[in-house]
Amino acid sequence: MSDLVLELRPPESQHYASWRDRLDTVARYSQPDEVHALCEKSYTLGACAILTVFDDTIREALVAFQRWRDLAVWAVVPNMFAFIRDLTDLGLVGAARARFLRLTPPQMASTGLRTMADLGAIRRRDFAVGTMLVSNMELAALRELRVTRLFLHPQVTEIALAGDSAAVFTALSATAQRLGIEAGLITHNPLRAAEVLGSELSRFAAIVAPCNPKGYKMFPSREACERLFRSDPARFIAAEVTAGGTVAQEAALAHTRTLGLAGAVLDFRMVEGAFRAGVATSHGAGVRS
Amino acid sequence: MTLSPPLRVAVIGAGRMGMIHGHLLSVYPETEVAGFVDSNMGLREHLASQGLRGPLYPNVEALFTATSPEAVFICTPTNTHLPVVRACLARRVHLFVEKPLATTRTDAEAILHLATEARVVHAAGYVYAHLPIVQAAHDLLQRDILGEVLRFSAHAYVSEVFGPKRGWFFQGELSGGGVVANMASHLLFILGWFFGPIRRIVATTRSHASAVDDSAQALLTFESGVTGLLDASWSMPGAQMLDYGLTISGRRGTLVLGRDRILLHLLAPAGGHDAGWSQIHASDLPADTGFDLSPHIGGEAFYRQLQTFVEACRASTLPFCSLVEACNTQRMIDAIYTSAASGTPVEIS
Repeated sequence: MSDLVLELRPPESQHYASWRDRLDTVARYSQPDEVHALCEKSYTLGACAILTVFDDTIREALVAFQRWRDLAVWAVVPNMFAFIRDLTDLGLVGAARARFLRLTPPQMASTGLRTMADLGAIRRRDFAVGTMLVSNMELAALRELRVTRLFLHPQVTEIALAGDSAAVFTALSATAQRLGIEAGLITHNPLRAAEVLGSELSRFAAIVAPCNPKGYKMFPSREACERLFRSDPARFIAAEVTAGGTVAQEAALAHTRTLGLAGAVLDFRMVEGAFRAGVATSHGAGVRS
Repeated sequence: MTLSPPLRVAVIGAGRMGMIHGHLLSVYPETEVAGFVDSNMGLREHLASQGLRGPLYPNVEALFTATSPEAVFICTPTNTHLPVVRACLARRVHLFVEKPLATTRTDAEAILHLATEARVVHAAGYVYAHLPIVQAAHDLLQRDILGEVLRFSAHAYVSEVFGPKRGWFFQGELSGGGVVANMASHLLFILGWFFGPIRRIVATTRSHASAVDDSAQALLTFESGVTGLLDASWSMPGAQMLDYGLTISGRRGTLVLGRDRILLHLLAPAGGHDAGWSQIHASDLPADTGFDLSPHIGGEAFYRQLQTFVEACRASTLPFCSLVEACNTQRMIDAIYTSAASGTPVEIS
């Protein structure tokens, strides 16, 4: 049986069918209670974890949710959409500084101490060190959560993969080890990840990549991606399973199971859709078979 | 399979867009990075730490003294595009210029003139035009599925500016303007590609937070007779990435273009599409992409943009995204600002 994972992202950072749909959804999920309710619905559907990029709303909702449910959080850091906007305005150093100033004094102290050893690399704007510096600042604000897996934001992952920059992944792995949790990858380029990381790929407990019967977002091709998935199916978790909502949920999940993948990512539309269809009537029932 | 040697490309300007293009040029099987140019030589280690291994030169002259690229990607601040193009075209190199082409229509036309005189292949970086779904919409219009196109309405919104901003991007003299030049221009390029040369514009702009235009409304009339409205703002809550939409009405139907799908309504069957409502989703279209550098912003369009440029260089032909089309966009940008400043319509010659 595949595990189901709820994907959360700040609603402003997602694509929508229309502006009206965007505003309705963003307004709804700007409320921590609505995010909490979504988490509860996904738990009812059988989700085993929540894979999330953080903003204040999501963090608040998850803190409350984890008091109630024992569901793992898989953290995706840093929130690159917010960071990129700050980059345009403040530059690299300014954007990092702005994040530092948002920390509490104890968080500032621990981040500052950890940074001391990296001052030279920070001055040189080293990509791996800078990425982990910003990531660590976000992680410092997640102390109240039970995070069991750590992922880099895909915008960073793809850049690192393009540049054959294994140092970033080594740094991610080391951070996860220091925290006593597992490291994972989210990528639209799993073949490139396998090429760049080689045997090191096995250090990542989960690799989240698009997988659907239409080959949507499966680069360079569906066939090549599925060949890779079949080589180590327990390591891969399917994303984009409904190909943008064009494949029925049951068929999408069945496809994932056929390939024997470790799990599938549900987005809010799938969860809401399952409930609208009345699929989930009791815990363990519904899309989870 | 690559049959000819890779196209050697230099990237001028090692800021955010320069790095993105550098990465794409590194992973694309038919290109190789000949080097980077940036006046900030302190970026060398930063680039290397990202795996961008080409040598870094302090200026264009140093680049050409050391190596002979066949093409250059110009990713410097917009106000420098004309002098950089002029310096690059001292040698015969193909040109890719990031959007917008220039800070003024005069500079944009000078760039096009230089490139045309030099007989090089040229293209501009309006990346969204390379999304398969946008190309599918263009294809429907080319096939006359809607019949005579009458009108359109379009929007381009993003959550970017809610207070004073710093950085060159928000200084009009460096970036060429605000939301119109730097965000809505993506949509203006698509409109020009779809409907042809622009003829007349009436517009208003507002600067309510930054020192440049933060919102704009424009009524555009194309030489083809198509008229429509564009509403643009980078102060709209709810959209961390550019949200755009375009509704086009013709005598035989209506097309609604969104980020991932086209909704089509036809009064009668046409071109294999039924009467009534139908949908074309991005997942129904071939992506033809080897690497997705930016899954949530631009997606496969970046790779396809490079592919288009390289194929054009190989074939010595101008791509659809050439500087000719980018000049049409620049005329729209210029006319929007002129109309907004004067409060009168602007006829474009």
